[in-house]
Formats: sequence, structure tokens, C-alpha cells
Amino acid sequence: MHIIPYFSLLAALILSLLAAAACLHQAWEGRSRWLPWVENAQIVVCTLVTISSFFLLWAFYVKDFSLLYVSRYSDLTLPLFYRLTAFWAGQAGSMLFWAWLVVVCGTIFLFTKRYHLLGAQSRVFFWIFFLGVQSFFMYLLTGHQNPFLEISPAPLDGQGLNPLLQHPGMIIHPPTLFIGYAGFTIPACLALACWITGEKHSWIEIAHNWTLTAWIFLAAGIIIGGWWAYLELGWGGYWAWDPVENASLIPWLSSTAFLHTAIVGQGRKALGKTNVLLMVLTLVLCFMATYLVRSGVIDSLHAFGDGGVGNPLMFFMMFIMVVTALVLFFGPSRDDRPLSGLGSRQGLLVITAWIFLTLGLVVLMGTFWPVISKLWTESPLGLDAGFYNRVTLPLFVVVGALLVICPWIQWRGGVRFGKGLAVLAGIWLALGVVLWINGIRMPLAVVGASAGLAMVASLVLLFILDPSLRRRRTAWGAHGVHLGIALMFLGVAISGPYKVEVDAVLAPGESMVIQDFTVTYLEMETWSTPAMTVYAARLEIARDGQVIGELAPQRRVYRTWDRPHTKVDTRFSLGVELYATLLGFTQEDIISLRMSTQPLVNWIWIGCIIICVVGFFAVRTLKGRARDVDTEPDPATS
Amino acid sequence: MQKKKSSRTVYAVALVLFLAGFGTLLMAGLKQNSIYFLNVSEALAMPAENIQQIRLFGTVAEEGLVYDPQHMGVQFLLEDSDDASQRIAVQYRGVVPDLFQPGAEVILEGGYLVQDGVFNAKTLMTKCPSKYEAENRSG
Repeated sequence: MHIIPYFSLLAALILSLLAAAACLHQAWEGRSRWLPWVENAQIVVCTLVTISSFFLLWAFYVKDFSLLYVSRYSDLTLPLFYRLTAFWAGQAGSMLFWAWLVVVCGTIFLFTKRYHLLGAQSRVFFWIFFLGVQSFFMYLLTGHQNPFLEISPAPLDGQGLNPLLQHPGMIIHPPTLFIGYAGFTIPACLALACWITGEKHSWIEIAHNWTLTAWIFLAAGIIIGGWWAYLELGWGGYWAWDPVENASLIPWLSSTAFLHTAIVGQGRKALGKTNVLLMVLTLVLCFMATYLVRSGVIDSLHAFGDGGVGNPLMFFMMFIMVVTALVLFFGPSRDDRPLSGLGSRQGLLVITAWIFLTLGLVVLMGTFWPVISKLWTESPLGLDAGFYNRVTLPLFVVVGALLVICPWIQWRGGVRFGKGLAVLAGIWLALGVVLWINGIRMPLAVVGASAGLAMVASLVLLFILDPSLRRRRTAWGAHGVHLGIALMFLGVAISGPYKVEVDAVLAPGESMVIQDFTVTYLEMETWSTPAMTVYAARLEIARDGQVIGELAPQRRVYRTWDRPHTKVDTRFSLGVELYATLLGFTQEDIISLRMSTQPLVNWIWIGCIIICVVGFFAVRTLKGRARDVDTEPDPATS
Repeated sequence: MQKKKSSRTVYAVALVLFLAGFGTLLMAGLKQNSIYFLNVSEALAMPAENIQQIRLFGTVAEEGLVYDPQHMGVQFLLEDSDDASQRIAVQYRGVVPDLFQPGAEVILEGGYLVQDGVFNAKTLMTKCPSKYEAENRSG
């Protein structure tokens, strides 16, 4: 039973290596006769990895605890939905899932029209790089990270899934991140291949939809992670600058930088090397993210702590960077056109990209500071959340200000719709004043939140003044993403600094006050299910003497888990959201309760949904592209 | 040619200004927001008065665990994850995370109470579940 999936992976490894070797040989000879064979090999590999993945899924479905992986992440009482999604609850499974996505992406790409636009040589080189990455995954899965280890004798019940992971957010979060990570494989391999062969089609154009899709999924994955932390961890926040959070943010920052330099590089031969480098860097940073989370390099304090998956990942990242450096600096040279000045939209796009890169570098450096500081101190020095807030938030605010102004600047310099811009400046100032009057007085919060609102005004004004924008689907996409970003700006700028938290110990019938809400503790309710016992505190919420609803934060005791588990409860609001955490209770039903108010926090999630949905409007079709090529590039402003 | 030169100067000046502002921020951040990351044996080797604000890593010991339900908090012994004989007494007031239990790896921030050598933790974090490591549960 477990022989089949393992040997499928082994066969996939051998086949990937053989096909990569065949491509190398063809590239050396300057031929491409074996391409059909290589493409078929890719389809076979896809089938093999799919078979293995299906086996693992099936094992979870039938509760086959003889598989070590299945017994570690599920048990008899786990609902079917969580049993199936436990596929990516552990390291080996998530590696398999990521690998499967990479393989599927490569196979889908085979059948796209854009793949057939590529010259034969570019295809050969593409497969060299792509199959190289694929082989690395297969090597991990058949060695360090084998998900098909058996236990004998098989246990009667599994160890169960950590209750923290039994939340829809944690189910969607890993796969969305992995789709993002996997999606960047195609553009990165294309970038290198097309740079070497001097492909006449722009690789940025061919990879555009892959880059865009991967970027959207990565953004969604990060924000869903934040949403999960907010609802599940019960500390009343969504972002703590934890190494694990930073890990996935870094590739997002570098890919965001790429999206902006790509606009400059597209069609005009500018920033060629920069674009290739940024795209490959993004892929490497995806591996870096996994390395950070998995190797224990940061939190075990002992660099290269447990070997495991850390060392192969490290070597692989270095290998990719060396290959890229060789390609870019010793490979063929391509001529670049000079850029226009700083005052043009081109210049502003480059500045934006630089700021995103700087942000990425700061987060990377901050995360690795315990390792870096070892160079000169005996004990490692780390950086707390205050460091990131101090250094990155001003930069984000600069990005916000650029985003308000940028759409009004012409491609080659000068202002469009001068009057519109003047009106916008007035609106922005007025918004700042209104916020100030309403007690929002921290400089960064005022500028950030007013910039967020001004962005919305800016985009609306622009669509009113420029009818040609309204006719272009891709413009809706690009500007729609920025609308989502604007709302997130608003949410982050207000919810972070203006959160209020009150702790209280209450007996039944007692009340507490938080801002203009009165919270009355009614009673304790208890009920049991086969998997857990639930203790819920019923709270009545009143505002200005009017009862507006109830909250029931819970403590759950799971059958397979010693410690009780907190379930927060929130009262949804687009203004001030109430957030209740039941910290503990005694035999006499006296509860310790933490209430907090989260102003405008939901705009962060709304912004994210807009980014994810509207972003796909920026997907390009080959037909639409032919029409767009001669006109001004897509004003994917930022 | 002339135009190219002038735009280059503008780029250079902008870059210098940006780097100066950013560098100041970064330096201030590195100076004021850096804290020692120590495991238990390293912390014990340091003079106690140096330890006002550190991040301490270790494993919760099996014995000596006292919950304080009235005030939401816990007192426990933290042992070195590699060498269980090295221990520090810890007191913490605040929300005890769900994953906190004997044998759990925890991360504390805080400092020594100078008079009695107890480590006063301002924050208590258990390892993030995205490590996806199953708990070592006894029984």
C-alpha cells in the first residue's frame, strides 16, 4: 500500500532528472528535437505525483493510522473536512502539496498558448531550470521529507490535530501560500531561460498571468494568516512580526517590487537584468521562507540546528543564486534603454520598487538579526516588534503617499488633469484635518489613514475624468488592487494604535465598561460533544443603555488535548469591533475576561477580498494584448 | 547627453536623502529595539544586573508549576532545552497561552527581579503552531 506512493515519487525524481539531462544535452548541441519527449515526461511526472498525493489524501479519508503522518495529525473523532485538510498540517505533507502544485503548474503551462509562442531554444532552457527545481522537490520528498513512513504495529487512534489548526483560516492559509510559492516557479525559470536565449517575446508578458496569480495568492495567504491569528490566538492582534509571519511577507515584498519594475521593463527594453534578478529572487525568497519556518535557525538560536530540511534548502538557494549570477553577469549582454527622469511615472515606479525592496531587506535583516549579530556578540541579539514598526511604517506611509499621487503623473513626466490633482490635494488635507479633529493624532496614523482615504478618492476621481480607463478591463484590475490596498492602509493605520484593552474579573451579574460599551456577564453555559467540552460565558453588550447584542467567548477542553483552548467571540462592525476573550473561570463561575475594541479592523479583510477578486481583472488575454501593445502601458500605478 | 547627466544628479541626490533618512531610522531601531536572545544556561552565565530586558528560550519543567487563577498567571521553573539541570524560576502575570504546559517550549520576555533572582516575564509565548509539530503528550 505505501510502496506505491513512495515509488511514484522516486520514479518522478528519476524521470525529472533524466528529462533535465536531456534538455542540457539539447541546449549544448543547440537543438530542440527532444522537446516532445521532455514534455511527455513532464505529463508522466505530473501523473505520478498526483497518484502519491491522492494516496495520502485517501489514507486520511480511511483513517489509516499505519501511516506515521496520518497518525500524527488526525484521530478518530476529527471531522472529515479537517481530516482531509490535515494533508498539509505537517511538514512532509505540506512539502508534498507544494511539490504537487509546482508539477501541476509546469504541466498547465505546457498546454498554454503562451508556451507555444516561445522559441524552441527558450523552451529547452526553460525546462532545464524548471526540471531542476522539480527534481529538488522530489529529492526532498524521497529522502528528508518522506510523508509515507509506516508505523508498525499501527496505533488504534491518531494523536489528533492541534485545536489551533482546526479553524477555516488555518485550512485556507497554507494552500494559498503554497499556490503563491509554486506559481512563481514558472516566471522565474522563464526569466532565466529567455535572458539566455534572447527570446524575442517579452518573458514578462508571457509570465504575466502566472506572476499576477501567484502574487494574489501570496497576498491572500498572508492576510488570511493574520485573520486566523486575530480570531484564533486570542491576543487581540493580527500581526506580531514573528519570524514565521515575516517569512512569507519577504517574497511578497520582492514580488511587489517586481510587479512595478515589470511595467517599466515591458515592451521597452529597460531594467532587463533588474527584472530577471527580482523574479528569481522572489522564488529564492519563497524557499527562504520555508527555510526560516522549518529549520529552526531563528528560534532554536543554534544556526543550522536540526539539519532536517534546512541544509538542503540552504544549498539549493545558494545554487539558484550562483546560477542566476552566472547567467546575468557572464551570460549574453542585452542593451537597456535609459529611464526617464524621477518626475515621470516611470521614475516613480522605480522608486516604489526600491522602497519595496528596502522593506524586504529590513524585514529579512531583522528576522535574521539573531544569526547576524552572532558575528560580534557572544549571545545573539534579536529585534522586537518595535523595531519593525519604527523602521517599516514610515516607508509604508511613503508608499501610500506615492500611491495617491502617482496615477496623476504622465508616463514621460508632467501632470494629467492638473485641476483634478488640485482637488485631490484639497481632499487629502481635509481628510487629515477631519481625522485630527476626531482624535487621531499620531503623525503616522494621520498620514497613513488619510492617504488610504485619499487613494480611494484619487481612484474615483481618475475614473470620472478619464473615460478611456473605464473601458479597459486591465485598468479596473490594477486600480482595483490599489483600492483594496487603500482600505488596508486605513484599517492598519487606525486599528493598530487605537486599540483599547480592558481586563476584568467578574461574577455572574456584574458589569464592566469599555469605551462606550457596557458588558454584563449573565451566566456560564456548558455542553459536551464527543470531541470536546465547551464552557461559554454569556455576555450582554449595551451601548448608551441600549442592549445591542450578546457575545459568548468560550474555553474548550478537547479530548485529545490537555490544555483548554480559547475561542474568542467578536461583534462584527465596520466601525469599532468588540473582541472578547475568556481567559479563565473558577468553580464558582467567576470569569476573567479580556475585552478589547478594534476600530476599523474589518477594512483590512475587506481590502484583502477586493485585492483577491478584482486583481484577476488584470489577467491578460493574447488578443487584448495585441491591441494594447502599441498604446501606453497599463497604468498599473503605484 | 546633458539631459541624461542632470537626471542622474537628481537620482543621486534623491538616493542620498532617502538613505540618510532611512539610515537614521534603522540605526535608532537597531540601538533601541535590540534585546538579547538567550537560552537558560546562557542567561545563568550572565551577571544578573545585566538582565533587565531579554528574550529567554527554554522548556517548562514538569514540577514547580503553580497556576494563579485569581490573577491570571503562572509560576514555573524554566529549564534549558538541552541541559535540564540548568533552571530559572519564572513568574508571569497575564494570559497563559493555550499551548502552555509542562514540556512545552516557551519564549519569555522580561528581566530579573533583582532582589530575589526570580525572572519576571512580561510576555509568555508558546512556539507558534505553524511549526506544525505535534505535542509530546504523555498518556
